[in-house]
Amino acid sequence: MTASGPDPVIRMEGLTKYYGRSRGIVDVDLEVRRGEVFGFLGPNGAGKTTTIRLLLDLIRPTRGRAEILRLDPRRDRVALHRRISYLSGELTLWGDLTGAQLLRYLGNLRGGVGREELGRLADRLQLDLARPFKALSRGNKQKIGLVAAFMGRPELVILDEPTSGLDPLIQQEFERLVEEVRADGRTVFLSSHILPEVEHLCDRVGIIREGRLLTVEAVADLKKRALRRLEIDFAAPVPADAFVGLSGVRDVTVHDGIVRCTVLGSLDALVKTAARFEVRDIHAIETSLEEIFLAYYGEEANIHAAA
Amino acid sequence: MLLRNVFLKSLRDLRWPTFWTGLGLGILGFYFMWLFPTIGKMMDLQSILDAFPPALRALIGGQLIDLGSPAGFLNMELFPLMLPLILGGFAIGVASGATAGEEARGTLDVLLAEPLERWAVLTEKTVAIVLATIIVAAFLLVGVWGGAAFTGTDLALDKVVAGLVVGTLLALAFGGITLAIAAFTGSRATAIGITGALLVATYFINALAPMVESLNQIRGISPFFYYLGHDPLRNGLDLGDAAVLAVVAVVGFAVSLVGFERRDLAA
Repeated sequence: MTASGPDPVIRMEGLTKYYGRSRGIVDVDLEVRRGEVFGFLGPNGAGKTTTIRLLLDLIRPTRGRAEILRLDPRRDRVALHRRISYLSGELTLWGDLTGAQLLRYLGNLRGGVGREELGRLADRLQLDLARPFKALSRGNKQKIGLVAAFMGRPELVILDEPTSGLDPLIQQEFERLVEEVRADGRTVFLSSHILPEVEHLCDRVGIIREGRLLTVEAVADLKKRALRRLEIDFAAPVPADAFVGLSGVRDVTVHDGIVRCTVLGSLDALVKTAARFEVRDIHAIETSLEEIFLAYYGEEANIHAAA
Repeated sequence: MLLRNVFLKSLRDLRWPTFWTGLGLGILGFYFMWLFPTIGKMMDLQSILDAFPPALRALIGGQLIDLGSPAGFLNMELFPLMLPLILGGFAIGVASGATAGEEARGTLDVLLAEPLERWAVLTEKTVAIVLATIIVAAFLLVGVWGGAAFTGTDLALDKVVAGLVVGTLLALAFGGITLAIAAFTGSRATAIGITGALLVATYFINALAPMVESLNQIRGISPFFYYLGHDPLRNGLDLGDAAVLAVVAVVGFAVSLVGFERRDLAA
């Protein structure tokens, strides 16, 4: 399904996790390449956090395997964790410690992080380091987690829902941090259920639903292959049944002489049908990844055929 | 300084529970030694106690009661029930918090995402717990010593130390069991519940054994049997008893390592 990079940072082969009888993830094959920003997309409960926790050896796979930086998550955990960092989706830290103390503690556990680097990161995110963690707002807690994830120049930064709770300005700074990691040749693996956030950040995205990886694609390709929303303006009213049921065409609404629909893949059928009537105008409305994403969910069978 | 590693951080987390429990026990120890001269002279009380039905006597200290000597007095007032309850309760409480507490709060994910082996995290936390338990016992020693010095009571301090050593080992034995249950289940409440029930049940097995033949036969399964069985306050430390309790604690810890190493952590 995925093109095999020369030096994958993350490789999952048939990675599967059941919690008793309930599904976590099933047969996930995925490679993340060095130097890319990879978005792991899916709604809540799809298996994003399960996948990440398997990579970190917080839980163990039912079957299949994962490899990070050519190391085994369980056997080589200490060597591996020195080179990666992680931001939990539901970040909880020791509430009585201040931001400065938390970052010092985590830095110590990691073998020491420069005071200067910490200060610089904290400044960029406008972090209040003096207050105890439990007294911070959700957004400020998240900032502490972000500093912890980016400090010490990890080769791989794993972020579970990193932008939840950040205000827009901080979001921008976060995006710059991600860019810097990419520019540095290091790798970011981030999960999200908020697609617009991923669209401009990621090189490639994997879409996971109900524990199964549906597709992995370059963001550029995904947008090119596009789901298009079209509005066709006819000179006279047209019958709806002419457009409903055309291949790749859906969400058809006909109002007087105006037909609105979305098209997945080829426009051929729609254009040929429209040509039977007098066309005044055609508008294409650019679709967000969100819509592409939702289209995948509706057309799961098509996607498997296409992939 | 206390944020250097998991061990020091754990000590830091335990500093207030350790201080307050220690202070409480220390004051209690002082108080009993301060009472001793008054009560020890009330020979009437001893004769009343001697007239108690054996079952009741057994519950409050058995054959060890002798109000005329400071050791006998402590054997009745402090050591049989108060010390195991408070020191054992402390060890159970902090042991249940070591991994299960962090797991419930969600901080264990953060900790184990750092370059640390699971067994190392559990070991560092356990060493901190052992140290904290010893510190609480030391507070008690200071209290008892202070009370004896204050009232001019002639107390064999080495024997008190012997009693506290087995007392601490008893607490750590229950702490080890707690650690094992917590590591396997990840549930703090389960660990406290089961071990707490075990503490009460084994206390009664040992206390009632002299009267009930069926209990007497199984007395050896009770950790309490190895605690005051050889009357350390009069006879000093019995190494065999101490070893049994230490083995229970160590086995509990070893089991917890296995359980913690292989389990999926709760999200």
